[in-house]
Amino acid sequence: MNPDQLTQGITNAITAGGEQMLENTLAVMLPVLWLAVIALHLARPYMLHMIPRFTLRLAADIWWILYVALRDLVIVLTFMFSIMFLFPDVTVADPLPITGGLAAVCLFAVLVIKLVRDVDEDRRMFVLTSNLLGFGALLYLIPTVLGLQATGTASSGFWGRVANGLTTSTNPTVAVALAWFSAAAVTALGIYAVVYSTKQTTTTRVRPDIAA
Amino acid sequence: MLAAITQDQLTNSIVQAMVQGEQQWLVSTIAAFLPALWTLSLILHFSRPYMVRMIRKLTLRFAADVWWLSFVLVRDAVMIITFALSFLFFLPNFAHNIPLPITGPIAGVFMFWALLVKLTGDVDDSARDYRLSSAFLVAGAALWLVPQLLAIETVSQPYMAGVVNALTSTSHQDITTAILLGSVVLMALTGAYIFNFVISGAPQDAPKPARAAAPALADAEAAAVSAR
Repeated sequence: MNPDQLTQGITNAITAGGEQMLENTLAVMLPVLWLAVIALHLARPYMLHMIPRFTLRLAADIWWILYVALRDLVIVLTFMFSIMFLFPDVTVADPLPITGGLAAVCLFAVLVIKLVRDVDEDRRMFVLTSNLLGFGALLYLIPTVLGLQATGTASSGFWGRVANGLTTSTNPTVAVALAWFSAAAVTALGIYAVVYSTKQTTTTRVRPDIAA
Repeated sequence: MLAAITQDQLTNSIVQAMVQGEQQWLVSTIAAFLPALWTLSLILHFSRPYMVRMIRKLTLRFAADVWWLSFVLVRDAVMIITFALSFLFFLPNFAHNIPLPITGPIAGVFMFWALLVKLTGDVDDSARDYRLSSAFLVAGAALWLVPQLLAIETVSQPYMAGVVNALTSTSHQDITTAILLGSVVLMALTGAYIFNFVISGAPQDAPKPARAAAPALADAEAAAVSAR
């Protein structure tokens, strides 16, 4: 080995190691974000219960704005961090929950439903988004607990096979297929959202007038 | 053999590897993070109907204004950050040495044009300008996200080798250079147009900060004040 080869070897190690470290850190953070998504979504009755206690309308409005902004921002952030599940190379190289891409699709579907329907007023849509969020959380958390974080304690036997089956790097064929499917689903939902939002601007004034 | 390397050579190798490796890692990380920023730009831009619907629920004009200005601020800030990070891929050495989406610089130009429409038009009040800005944004996102997904992050799939080769910057140095230089020229022309637009619209006198408008008084209240 000459100095150039040594330099190249260490360079590749830093680049690949840094990338995998970053992706694994995101994967570890995502369960926390999923729990925050669920907690904020289900906190709606508590938030509504608080509103009548305010003596000022301004305080009530600010309380509701902060809640809605935080709730939706956490959903958007969680989806942003889940984009890596749509990339085949990432799913093959890193040990990740195998259904993480499908969980991202659920999150994006919730965002699109919030765009086209009034989830805070329409009970049917609220139930639908709640189910999608719950289903998405299960799709992320179950493979994380039984797959990604169980390879040490269940390295053989039935639970070992379950752990390997639920981890992307040990089940790459299914992982890549799910990544392609998730990318296609997100693309289709995205096109629908773009068309909907653009159509809205043809008939209505873009900037809103003052609040009612 | 590793034993044949002297201590100085080993030190130099590690130093160079750290510098090059960390630079490559940083650029690759930004490249990998840009799809998230592009997606966030799209989400915020096209979430306008949702934001408008929320405003109608607020009971106070102050709350509605806070909601709207927060939305506009975050939406535009994310677009500017995405554009600023895209500028990194206008540097030829990075495009030649690090596998990046081959159409990345054009995506940056489209983002610049979306910002240009916001500056020269009224995207929040004109449906035509909104649609034009949306078209630039979608085109830019497609030019970044498609090669990122189908080429940069699909190297492990042998059946995608042709697509990977076609859409990766390091595979076609000449095409990459042509795209990059063409994009730099478009950026420069757009920048010159913006400069001219701003200069030609500048006031003749030195600008003075406007005083905050006094709150309007009701007729009866105004009469009472003048009577005093």
